[in-house]
Amino acid sequence: MDKQLIISISREYGSGGHIIAQDLAERFGIELVDNSLLSKIAEEGEISVHEIAKFDERPKRPFITRTVRGYTNSPAQNIAEMQFDYLKKLAASGQSFVVVGRCSDDVLKDYKCCVSIFIMADMPHKVQHIMGKFEMNKEEAEALIKKKNAKRKEYHNRYCTGKWGDSRNYEMCISSSSLGYEKTADIIEAYVKERYEKL
Amino acid sequence: MLAAQIVATVIFVVMFAFIVTEKIERQYVSLGCAALVIIFVFGVCMRDVQAIIDTLAFKDFGKLSFWYAAGEGEGEGAGINWATILFIFGMMVMVEGMAKAGFFRWLCLCIAKAVKYKPTAVFVTFMLMSFVLAMFIDSITVILFLAAVTIELARLLEFDPVVVILSEIFCANLGGSATMCGDPPNIIIGTSLGYSFGDFVANTGFMAVISLVFIITYFYLVFRNKLVNKDASGATKNYPNPSEAIQNKGSFIISTIIFLIAVVLLVSHAQTGLTVATIGAFVAILTMITSFKDLKEIMKKVDYKTLLFFIGLFVVVGGLEQTGILKLIADFIAKISGGNIYIMIAIVLWVSAIASAFVDNIPFAATMIPVIKNLTEISGVPLTTLAWTLAIGTDIGGSATPIGASANVVGIAVLQKNKYSIGWGKYCKYLAPATIIVMIVCMICIYVRYCGLGV
Repeated sequence: MDKQLIISISREYGSGGHIIAQDLAERFGIELVDNSLLSKIAEEGEISVHEIAKFDERPKRPFITRTVRGYTNSPAQNIAEMQFDYLKKLAASGQSFVVVGRCSDDVLKDYKCCVSIFIMADMPHKVQHIMGKFEMNKEEAEALIKKKNAKRKEYHNRYCTGKWGDSRNYEMCISSSSLGYEKTADIIEAYVKERYEKL
Repeated sequence: MLAAQIVATVIFVVMFAFIVTEKIERQYVSLGCAALVIIFVFGVCMRDVQAIIDTLAFKDFGKLSFWYAAGEGEGEGAGINWATILFIFGMMVMVEGMAKAGFFRWLCLCIAKAVKYKPTAVFVTFMLMSFVLAMFIDSITVILFLAAVTIELARLLEFDPVVVILSEIFCANLGGSATMCGDPPNIIIGTSLGYSFGDFVANTGFMAVISLVFIITYFYLVFRNKLVNKDASGATKNYPNPSEAIQNKGSFIISTIIFLIAVVLLVSHAQTGLTVATIGAFVAILTMITSFKDLKEIMKKVDYKTLLFFIGLFVVVGGLEQTGILKLIADFIAKISGGNIYIMIAIVLWVSAIASAFVDNIPFAATMIPVIKNLTEISGVPLTTLAWTLAIGTDIGGSATPIGASANVVGIAVLQKNKYSIGWGKYCKYLAPATIIVMIVCMICIYVRYCGLGV
């Protein structure tokens, strides 16, 4: 690719957003940045991937954390900021990539080459997907989806100016329920290609 | 008055809740709550314009005693403690000037070089440096610079920086308790009750130094195995040169001189009659004049948010005081202690420590000052005894948890940002016992000195 392209995928839990992001990375032949960036951060310090993963995309917990002059003892916030810094550095290096979550829609919003997409799905489809993935019953899947999405929302809204899932913050919001993951990826690919031409 | 008391208490509780949740920045919370106190408590419920004037305390600036207090200090009345605000502002300006010149990094590197970069010696000397610096400078600045150099040296010498920084945090909080200007609660206690720098050194300083001996021994015994240099290759290291830390030699010399002037003025303020407000204003003006070309940058870095937070906080606490709520709390403490000085001291000390371990010790100290004044009136226990007890409880108690004091939060943040693992479990495992040790040492000191010997 002669010009830089960043595709930011924000997604509801269970919507298949990660699968679509993987597919898009393959189609465009660019790197996928997901929780793999945790191991890259861990490699730079004396902290295990497991330790970082515990606080990945987690909201800051009140009552047991405090902020003083911009410094905080919240591991969730410090790990989030490390990830934001990593994404900013990667974007500044001129590399093209697909990034999943991590407030990338907001963190990289100043990059004209960044296409931000929000992928959602209706509840029955999300439940179906999670039931198949983790071998759990409908109630368990629904409870997990609600819990995970509440956490993602809280995490996103803690660090970003715009609200999670608010269509005004994304170039495209699309439901994966009607067309399935592959066709949804086709539509996103077509849009991104058009958008890329105009960069 | 009952309605005013209820409204003042509700506003205070709401303010605390918002501070803890951090949904809104704390200066907006305290200023917003201050406005509510003025409107609803003093205006609607009490209809008392004089209470508003007293709480805003602007008239203090016009009093000679605000700037110059010959003989025994009088102490400030209820409301905004402008002396504290002005002093903290002055020290912030001075510290920014010193930081810009590279003073702190230079000092850390000089000490590391002087002890030949031996991990155990670095560990002990950095604890001592943290204690001494925090006696005069805010603990946040002390830890910011010490932690950064500690991590740099730890990577070079291959020791565990987590345990060293934890020890530095504890010693910064302990050092802060030793003087009037070391920790904001002490400044508030000192200016509110009219105590001098020397009074603090002779009382809380005395206890802090005794505690320091115990705590260095404790940390050495607990951490000695983690201070072993993992690199046995004996390869030549490229140690950082202290002189490289100095950004500008002229600014460095000037900022060092200003710091020494501030120390001399603080140490001698009981003799010279200059109040902490005057000293704060003086060092601020001196820094502004001598660092004129960097003035914009220095002034930008001053933590105005904390100053605004203090202003709002004093008004909210003023609301509690003017409505008599704090007197009720004092009555309650006097009642449950049955007038027994030992029980009263234990209550003030441990309640202050436990509260400070979980909530900001500044609002707590500001709230407790009128309480101990009332306790003295009710029970006859000397105000000085309760003041030193309150200072030690609030200053030391904050060390027990990661959120108890500003230094803890900053130290942990520096470690986490440098990708070292430190959470509540690891922090409390080492520093909660250390806090308990110091609290017991101080309680014994207070009992022996103020109750037993009556010195």
